Amino acid sequence: MLVSDTEVYISGFGCITPIGNNGDENLQSLRLGQCGIKKPVLFESKYASLYLFGEVSLSNSELCSLLGFEGVKGLTRTDLLAFKAFGDAIQDAGLRPEDISSYDTAFVSASTVGGMCLTDQLYRDSNLQSDNGEFLNSYSCWAHATRIAGHYRIRGLVDAINTACSSSANAIMHGARLIKTGRAKRAIVGGVDALSKYTVNGFNSLQILSQGYCKPFDADRDGLNLGEGACYLVLESRESLGDRKPLAVVAGYGNANDAYHTSSLSDNAIGILRAMQDALVSAGIDPEHIGYVNAHGTGTDNNDKVESEGFRRFFEKIPPFSSTKSYTGHTLGAAGAIEAVYSLFALMYGELYPNLNFSKPEGSDGLVPVLETGKADLRYVMSNSYGFSGNCTSLIFKRL
Amino acid sequence: MYILDSIAISPQNTWEGYPDTLRIIEGNKYFASEPSYEGLIPASQLRRMGKALRMGIACGVQLLKRNAEVDGIIIGTSEGGLEGCISFLNQIVDYDEGTLTPTNFVQSTPNAVAGHLALVFGNSGYNITHVSGGLSFENALIDAKMLFEEGKAESLLVGNVEEISDYNYNIGLAAGRYKLAETRSDQLLGSVTPGSVTGEGSAMFVFSKQGGSGDVRVLDVAGLTNVGESELHEYICSFLGKNGLEADKVDALVAGFSGDAGSDYYYSNLHSKLFPSSNLYSFKNAVGEYPTVTGYALKMTVDLLKGVNLPEGQLLKQGRKEVKRVLIYNYFRGIQHSLMLVVRN
Amino acid sequence: MEMDREALKSELKVHLVKYLNILDRKPEEIGDDMPLFGDSGLGLDSIDSLELIVMLEREYGLKINNPADGRKVLATINAMVDYIIENKK
Repeated sequence: MLVSDTEVYISGFGCITPIGNNGDENLQSLRLGQCGIKKPVLFESKYASLYLFGEVSLSNSELCSLLGFEGVKGLTRTDLLAFKAFGDAIQDAGLRPEDISSYDTAFVSASTVGGMCLTDQLYRDSNLQSDNGEFLNSYSCWAHATRIAGHYRIRGLVDAINTACSSSANAIMHGARLIKTGRAKRAIVGGVDALSKYTVNGFNSLQILSQGYCKPFDADRDGLNLGEGACYLVLESRESLGDRKPLAVVAGYGNANDAYHTSSLSDNAIGILRAMQDALVSAGIDPEHIGYVNAHGTGTDNNDKVESEGFRRFFEKIPPFSSTKSYTGHTLGAAGAIEAVYSLFALMYGELYPNLNFSKPEGSDGLVPVLETGKADLRYVMSNSYGFSGNCTSLIFKRL
Repeated sequence: MYILDSIAISPQNTWEGYPDTLRIIEGNKYFASEPSYEGLIPASQLRRMGKALRMGIACGVQLLKRNAEVDGIIIGTSEGGLEGCISFLNQIVDYDEGTLTPTNFVQSTPNAVAGHLALVFGNSGYNITHVSGGLSFENALIDAKMLFEEGKAESLLVGNVEEISDYNYNIGLAAGRYKLAETRSDQLLGSVTPGSVTGEGSAMFVFSKQGGSGDVRVLDVAGLTNVGESELHEYICSFLGKNGLEADKVDALVAGFSGDAGSDYYYSNLHSKLFPSSNLYSFKNAVGEYPTVTGYALKMTVDLLKGVNLPEGQLLKQGRKEVKRVLIYNYFRGIQHSLMLVVRN
Repeated sequence: MEMDREALKSELKVHLVKYLNILDRKPEEIGDDMPLFGDSGLGLDSIDSLELIVMLEREYGLKINNPADGRKVLATINAMVDYIIENKK
């Protein structure tokens, strides 16, 4: 099987995030600079009153009603968010049931926490302290993918990726490659994560949570805000598209490892640089063709410093860049996909969305991100995602 | 893609070869027979590793030490370092979300094995971890195959890892995945009760793009979800046909019999309907059942094709003298089906 | 409260080995002034410092809020003992 020259088209997407319950709402929030990070209303944890979070506004029961799942057992918030985004994506793309069930359709999802968002229930079940068996098959990172595959009768290849914070970017890359190598004609790709005690306690133990709003790239940044959400994109070959109009093209992708430390990136940005380089090579373009970069930009001291260094070394002239985590917080397993969609918005509408909460560059050579919404003629945009254990991924999208 | 080298830690003593006969395992938890980690993992790193991490890393380190540098590392693991994960979770509840220690959290991320191997060997290449339950290892293989086809790699390290965690066993038991009564591994197959046993281990492979005559290669890999028996059989025929083979050209079927009376008929039916004259092998009576156990199945298949003697107790039916083409089939939790076609040139 | 410095040093070494799961050294083999971090000495890293901060809170009720302070306090066994004696009044 040889790799074909087929382009990988994006025919639709669906997303639910702290700044909107569907694509249009998300777009509006980006345009208006409307931050979705605040004191959580639904999330239960000691930290709910201490930190700010990016929380999806719909409760689990509201999601259940919206999806027609009242009375269905064993659905976690992760499952519900994923179902919402997935349903929107296939509707947006115009996929029919026979397309979804075709052996040629792959489903590649991602989640870092999966059903462990039900921290207390998992504690009881794993310590044999519960007589409620509702969630026993719901805890894994891949449980939501199996659930969706069952509901929609997906018969083709189902995959789930967990590379921490770059997971759904890698899911997009994997789906594109399945199409390019002829193993699939279409791939539904993306990821999900729900706010959970597990993650907030984990990140708190690493002392990388912001005491207020995250300030990506700002000199006074003090950490990240956690967020939640789900987002799926539908990728298709030309043949599968038929008469339907695609939105954009997945032009290139690259994944590399920083090989430095489990939870921080090297000063030389080795992994970051290699991922960007591989993405450019696979897109067949040069750095100056990139019109905008959606940065990983978590707001932690280490990430933003190293990512900035990566920009300096890679681009002779650094293109406009911003971190949309300043709107949504860090949505972990969903981040790669959500930020891919925000990159697509920029590409499709020729717009730049500002990096919120920025007031001061770091040091004398500190970089300044996009600060105001504006128009831009974009041909290629790049989206970067970096995960624990040195995982670095860059995606490049091309305007049609 | 060609297999250059392979290694496995399993409930049988397989670190440096195979025993002549399978060790009989009492009970429903088939714990791995771990080697000494001296020379493979320094104490300063070992102290932070749960079992999944140290098994996966030991296998990876051993292979990477005796082979040239690889262009990427791809791992399949369904639950990763689950014990560490649940230890952290217990801390959250026991200390009521107070100040917690981060090691369990950081090491519980499933991509810790792939990340650690990259770190130790300074490997900045492609690095991904697939976590799709019973298809995690297969998806890792497909990923590797694609990299070779894309011309992005000359050699890759690919493997699986899974550990038994008491906590996960409790959940599985409550979910009906395991036998309620204690069993013995030599009585597992042909059991008339539902459920199976649990196992753990790691199998790692160095794959290369190029190979020669007599070399073993993974010809094709596929994963299906939510299909019934007749759809499965139809699919398998077209899967073989796509690779220029008919069913009677398959010399051996390596099947995932697990002792679960509710699903083992899938394997016997497949053998009798499509491959009646092929050899039939099992592996879960040796190493137990777990989501990425097909990593072990591939290891034993590669060795079988190379003419290595496998332990007694795994060959269930002999139909052929010479084995050059093998199909590995596994059926996981009633939903996922995996196929691996492995041949010797 | 008077604290026996020697007893505290021994106790800290035991806690350190337990919390960090040190496999290749017994508590009594850790020198009082041995640098705990960096390549010479015990070779601990940033994640270990976070673990030790938790240890100080759980075992002695002392909270270090700024990780930067942590490195100074945790530099050696003696430094930790000084900190505990000074703050646990």
